[in-house]
Order: sequence, then structure tokens, then C-alpha cells
Amino acid sequence: MQHTISFTQHDKPTPIVAQVPTNTLLADAAHIAGIDIGQPCGGQGRCGRCAVQVTGGTVRRRSTLRLSPADVEQGYALACQTVVEGDVSIFVPPQEKIERRLTTDRVVAEVTVPEGYEYLQDQTVRRIHLELTPPSMDDQTDDWSRLQIAFRQQQNMERVTCSVDLLRKMGQVLRDGDWNVTAVVDVSNVIQSGESNHTIQLIDLQPGLVDEYSPLWGIAIDIGTTTVSLWLVDLVTGRVRAQVAEYNGQIARGEDVISRIIYASKNGGGQELRQRVLDTINSLLETACKRVNAKAGDVVKATIAGNSTMMHLLLGIPAENIRLSPFITAVNHPPILTARAVGLNTNPEASVDCLPGVASYVGADITAGVLSSGVDVADDVTLFLDVGTNGETVLGNRDWLVTCACSAGPAFEGAGVVNGMRATQGAIEEVWINSDTFEPTYRVIGGGKPKGICGSGLIALLSEAFITGILDKAGNVNLMANSSRVREGAHGGEYVVAWGTESESGEDIVLSRVDVDNLLRAKAAIYAGFTVLAETVGILLESVSKVLVGGSFGKYINVEKAVQIGLLPDMDWSRFEFLGNTSVKGAYYTLLDWRKRERITEIAKRMTYIELSADNSFYEAFTSALFLPHTDLSKFPSVAEVLENKQADTEKSTHVDK
Amino acid sequence: MPIEIPKDKWPGSIKSITIGATSAEGGTRAKIITIGGGTTMPYLQFDAPVLSGDEAPNKPVIAIEIKSHKPEDWSPLLAEVWGEAMSDPAEWAKKAEEAGADLIVLALTVDDSAEDAVRVVKSVLSATGLPLIVWGPGQAEKDNELLVPVSEATKGEKLVLGICEDKNYRTIVATAMANGHLVQARAPMDVNLSKQLNILISDMGMPKDRILMDPTTGALGYGIEYGYSVMERLRLAALQGDAMTQFPMIVTPGFEAWKTKESKVGEGVPEAWGDWTARAINWETITATALVESGADIVVLRHPESVKRVKGAIEELITA
Repeated sequence: MQHTISFTQHDKPTPIVAQVPTNTLLADAAHIAGIDIGQPCGGQGRCGRCAVQVTGGTVRRRSTLRLSPADVEQGYALACQTVVEGDVSIFVPPQEKIERRLTTDRVVAEVTVPEGYEYLQDQTVRRIHLELTPPSMDDQTDDWSRLQIAFRQQQNMERVTCSVDLLRKMGQVLRDGDWNVTAVVDVSNVIQSGESNHTIQLIDLQPGLVDEYSPLWGIAIDIGTTTVSLWLVDLVTGRVRAQVAEYNGQIARGEDVISRIIYASKNGGGQELRQRVLDTINSLLETACKRVNAKAGDVVKATIAGNSTMMHLLLGIPAENIRLSPFITAVNHPPILTARAVGLNTNPEASVDCLPGVASYVGADITAGVLSSGVDVADDVTLFLDVGTNGETVLGNRDWLVTCACSAGPAFEGAGVVNGMRATQGAIEEVWINSDTFEPTYRVIGGGKPKGICGSGLIALLSEAFITGILDKAGNVNLMANSSRVREGAHGGEYVVAWGTESESGEDIVLSRVDVDNLLRAKAAIYAGFTVLAETVGILLESVSKVLVGGSFGKYINVEKAVQIGLLPDMDWSRFEFLGNTSVKGAYYTLLDWRKRERITEIAKRMTYIELSADNSFYEAFTSALFLPHTDLSKFPSVAEVLENKQADTEKSTHVDK
Repeated sequence: MPIEIPKDKWPGSIKSITIGATSAEGGTRAKIITIGGGTTMPYLQFDAPVLSGDEAPNKPVIAIEIKSHKPEDWSPLLAEVWGEAMSDPAEWAKKAEEAGADLIVLALTVDDSAEDAVRVVKSVLSATGLPLIVWGPGQAEKDNELLVPVSEATKGEKLVLGICEDKNYRTIVATAMANGHLVQARAPMDVNLSKQLNILISDMGMPKDRILMDPTTGALGYGIEYGYSVMERLRLAALQGDAMTQFPMIVTPGFEAWKTKESKVGEGVPEAWGDWTARAINWETITATALVESGADIVVLRHPESVKRVKGAIEELITA
């Protein structure tokens, strides 16, 4: 019996109609109607990308995997899994909309100005207008005293101090502005003590009266072992005006903190590493400022998060003792410094606040992450994972916090992977592989030609290659797979994600055996870290109410795929939240609000550090996690189910072939 | 008043596995061997006695290792005891059977071509009626090149082919499956890695009664404690019901013991070390006996005297 199927596309006004018999797949009907509905997984109902909305008529859904009951309620159906049983009207939504709806995709949280931000109450730097009485033969007061008098009389600021550099340029500035000046001052001492007679630091002095509402620039920085991120913030409105990131220039001298420390302890090595990270930061600063037509020298405040080693290397403090037992840092909580002393190209008087860390391997990046993710105020037990070069984990709530760290390597930041890259324009951030043909479908950040693969893309690729059988559970490339994309490469088997003809560089983009090993080690270290931590404090992972994930990923993370490779625990997807770079976000919060700054000091004091190398349970957990998804498949029931279904499918099709 | 001794009951057990096929079963072996079947930790005779007969749990067996070419790097003590036979694998296999081997391990070398390998394996099969284990030379490509034709030429014999490792197992497993053989799966002294390799092999569809696991071991004084505890833990995991660790274990104390300085070197060593031959045989025997006690099902040895002594030790363990 023939039925009339009417397809309405989101971008076309007139519906297209096709005649098809009963039990025709919607995907086939669409094909007959000349409408292309993408089926990245090869029509197996695995990816959910072919969802359409049935607006009228009767269909039968063979599978609604990937659709929530609410979706089905609204008429959504997978075109590759749904057959027509009468005349039907279909709406074909835009691809973007489908991605938003899919339960597996988690959009990384965006940055919003913290609610209730009040510059005049929360901020420690202020812009002040001063109108001075010009000197005369009768009033022979010196320039500096004249300025101090204005502070006292007009702002009730008793004790203002400044650097010799400011003294040097003060006379000219006062005269250029015809004795009207705009001062930028740091009032943290006054704010924090609540008493007005504490010292106030003069940071900047400009001629004339600068618009009160014009931006006052501050920067929040996260120095990661692999990636450095910098946010340029208007301290008046609290808005983040530019976000930039780049690989840490120190990578050229070692990929992990240990090799950096060793390098630093060699003659001149410490100085070189300090210069390299300063170059990275200053170039990011330049880029960010250019975007908003500001000058680096206009930046009057900086807050820095980063692991303890990065902090030591930035400040040029010897770091050897971090590496040597009993693993003691020189400083967990550096005093407030000036940009001049640190070497930042901001205003040299700008205060540089290096946030407090906990221990050698749990630094300010984690305290900042705890602050921005809110684990320290959570009612229920929460797990916070920072998926970076050092896989740090925090478990706890508002009553207690425990933490551990393990070395995961830079793979999830796209470093140490042949075609890896940061999550920027041109990075493949999501991949599906058709399990019959092994042909991939991918999504590129920015939509252009692919240049490489970023962390989220690598997770997706590893998962798809594993589920489709291109990789075995140990990550070996199955060279018997029938596809030209699976081949012998320079370092063992490899899979071609994009041919040279499709890529930006003209060269093939591949996932090599070495990459797979690096990714496996990274995910195993992270998984082992949080499982051992949870075991140590006697908490079952299932009882954790929320899993907060930080890291330099792209915009989306596919939870299902992160579970399939065994990076994240197999639990209800709704419990996961992806927060993006939580470290720089924590630095941003403390940059804005001095109370948050006090809270982070509290967090650092409250966290209990657990040393994983104290016994062999970590190593044990690590080797058992060094497998896809895990040596103990019973820990990953959802993945076991996918594998069983696939096995059943294969057997069915083999049977048909006979 | 009689006291009833409580018996420990584990949820899992070791698989019983048979190596070799008689003519009735499609092979040519005069003797076949069944190992495994354990239901308790080794030699807890009060729980479930290991028997001398053909019933499970089966007692451990001893394989003697021979090579397709006379090995130049073996100890002169071994060359002395095997003599001329070392130059002829068939002759060597016969002498090994006379020395009391339950089965033969034939190690091929890099100098063998595929034709050589098939010829040597066939000559050994006709020289002895014992079940046979065939090892490649230990280089992935060469292993595959030699073992595939050997496997095809001996279809139905139920040989054990090895050695599968996580980076090279597919080809060997595929050919063993197609030709009715078993495989030896070696992982480097780690419970998880052993289990992972067993999973990979099982995922290819290899029946579970055709996998032997080789946890790798060390000689006395050279890491035997580690090897021992890994085997013990594998056995515990198996008894607790972990299906991917329930395979019988094969270990190579002969190989390990004969590469130690104590066995290899006769001159320029402290006088207190005593007689060289006695020391070398002791080294192999003590290594092997310890491994038997930790649950080994096949121990691969090199010296006939060690074979005799380890056999005696096994008898004592099950009759004591």
C-alpha cells in the first residue's frame, strides 16, 4: 500500500512529497524525495543525528535510542529507525538544532558576569578623579604632597604610597592634565580590613579626567602545563571582553611538570623557562588587547592560577623540591607582587595576585577550579575532574574536600598527538564512523577545512574507532578491517580521519597507534585517579550526585563517547556538567571580587591532599583502566550493552550473507 | 568425636583444557594431556584433592623445551647432557620423552623458513607421541610467517601455538581457530595485562577451552616473588569468578633459570657457590617448584635432572 509522505525542511517554504509503500524507512523516503538526511553512523540508530519531527500521521519507531521520552512526545523520531504506516508529515529540523537537543551532547558552560557584581563594592582597584589646586609662588607645596592632599581631602584616603617610577612621571602628568588627574589605586588593604587608615597603592596616574565608565582592564590567567589561557576583563562592568589561549612556550622544553623541573634545575634552564612562559603570556596579552583596542600597559590588575610548578617557574623560584621526596614547594601562596617584578607587560605597577595552592601537585589551578565549580559550597557529594596534563580530582562538598593528582599527559589538550591541536578554528571536535564502511563524518570548529583534532574530537574518534571495531580493546589498529582508511603507518597501524584532499594542509589527518597509546594513558590516569580517591574515602562513585568536568575542550563534549572510552564513569548522563576551563574562570572570579579571593584561601586550607604514590593501588587501577573501556567491563554496563548489540548485529548480517 | 573439616567453596574454577588429539580425534598423538580444572587454591587437598588420574583437578605437567636449531647461547651443561641430539629436533624430542616430559615445546628460530618450520614440526610429531607446543622465534612478523603454515600443515593436532602478546596476537589466534589449535597468551607479569590479553583473544571468538595463559615469570633471585604473587592473584581472581582469568597457566622456569649468572657461569665465581652443575639444576628445580606451588599447570624445563626432581616434588605435593 502506498502512502504520501510530506517533508517540510526548515529552510524551504514548500514541502516535498513522495509516495512510498508501508514499512519504508523515513530515511529512504527522504532519499526518494531528494532530501538529504545525514546518517553519520550508517543508519544504525547509534548517533541520533538523523532525528526528524513527525508532525502528523502514523509511524512505527523501531528504536528511540538517543531520544528522550519528551522528544518522542513531541514527535521526534530517528529517520533511520522509523518506518511509515500511513500518510505522514515530517519536519526536517536544521542540524544545529538536533545537536542541541541530543542528550549525549553537553554544551560547555558560557561565561557570565557573576550575579550582583558591583565594581565599587567588590573590586579592589578603583579609578578616582582628583582636581588639584595648581601651585603658585604662594603655594610651594611639592607635587607628591599636593597629590596626597587631594587624596585626603577629596577621597578620604589617608595613606597613599607609590613607586619611584610613578614619582618620575608624576610632575609631567599633573601638568599635562592641567592639575586634573585620574588615578588608579589598589584599595585592597582598606577593603579587607574595613579601616580607612591602611596603605593605598597608587597604580596609575593619567592626565585629565578619564570617563568613569570607560573600561578599567584586568586580566585573569591560567598557566597550564600545556595551555595558557588569558581573559581580558573590564573591571568596571565585570565583563570578559576577550578570551585567548595558546600552547605554553615551555612545551619545547618538556611535556610534563617533571621534565620542566629537571630542565629548570640545569644551568640557565630556570631563567629560560621563566622567559618562555612570560613570552607566551605577554603575546596573549597583546592579542587580547588588540581585539578591544586597548594597550597592554592599560591593564592594572592580574590574577594568576596555575599548578605549583608553573607558578614557581613563572616567578623564577627553584622548583626541584617539588620533584624530590618529601615533595615540598617553596611557596604555596605567594604574596601580592607587581607586574614589574613578575615580568608582565601590563602597567608595571599592576598588582599580580598568584592564587594559593595546596601542595606540590595540587596547585592554584585546582583551588580556582573548586571555586568556580562551587564544589566547596555543594550540598551533596560532588566529583570535580580537571582533564588536563595533570589530572587533578577533587571530591567533597561544603563540609569536606579531598584531592589527588596524577600525570595524564597533554593528549586531551591536543598535544603529543600527531594531528592534535587546541580547540580552535579548524579543529575536528566531533566524529562519527559508519560501522559498515568505516567512513567518518566529522564536525569542524568554525566549519572550514580541518587542520587537526582537538581533545573532544580525539575522545569521539577513539570511541567511534573502538565501537566500530577499527581498534580492539587494547587500542591495536585492526589492519584486517576492510577500508583504505585503515593502514600501516610510520609507527604501526593508523586510521585516516580526513584525506589530504579535504584538509587545510593538504596532508592526511590520522589517528596513529602512538596517539591511541597516549590517549589511553591519559584517560586511564584520570579514571584511576578518581576511582582510587573515591575508594580511599569510602565513597561509591554511584553515590556521587554530580560530576563536574573542567578542561580545555571545544564547545561540546559527547558524554556517551567519554564514557565509552572509559574516561568518565558509566552513570546517568544528566549527572555530568562540563565547565570548560575552570581554572581561568576561578582566576576571573577572584579578579573581580575580593570576597571570592578570600574564599579561595579558605578552599586551599580546607582541602586534604591524598598522595596516590603512597601505595600501589593507583598503579593497579591505572593498568586495569588501560583498556577500552576498562579491563572490568562490568563497571561499564552501558558500553557492554552497545558491544553486545553490535555483536548481535554482526552475527545477524553474517547469517543473512549465508 | 569426629570433626568435620569445613570446605571452602569458591564460585569459580579453572577451565579443564586438553592439548593434543589422538587419531580418533583427528590428530596423530599417542598421548593427550588435560590440565586445569582446579577449584581451590593449589594443593589444598582437604578442599578438593588434585588427583593423579585423569580426573579434574588435574596435576601439573612438565614440558621440555627443544629448538629447531642447536642453540649456541645455551649453557654448556645443557649441551653436555643432550649431546648430539641437540642438532636434530626429532632426536631431541625422543630423548625428551625418555627423560620424562609430558609434552614438548618446540621453539622455532629466525633462521627457519616457512618450509623448514613445517618440516621440523612434522618430524617432531612423527618422532614422539607427546602433545606439542610450537613457539615462533619471538619477532612478530617472523612468528606470523612461520606459525601460519605450521598451523595449516598440522590441522586437527590440537597443538599450542605461541606466543601471543598484546601487540601481536591476531594472526596467531586466527590461524589457531581455523585449524583447531590452542594458543599461549603471554603478558608481562601483571594481572590486568594478562586478563586484557585473554579478553582480546576471546573477543576474536577463540573458544575458552583453547587458551593457555603465560603470566611470565622470573628465576629464583630474579623476581620470582613477583611472578609468584601475580600467579597467585590470577588464581584468586579465577576462583572468585572472573571468567577472563580462568585459564590454565604455563610458565618458563627453564628459560628464566638458565639465563642467570649462577647457572651460566662455572668459572671465576666464589668458591662458596659450590658445584656448578648441582647449582644450575638446583636453580631450575627450585624456580619451577615454587611456580608449581603458586598454581602453574605447565612448567617448561630444560635439564632432564630438573624434570625428574620437579616430578617428584609434584607427586609429594599431591600425596602429602
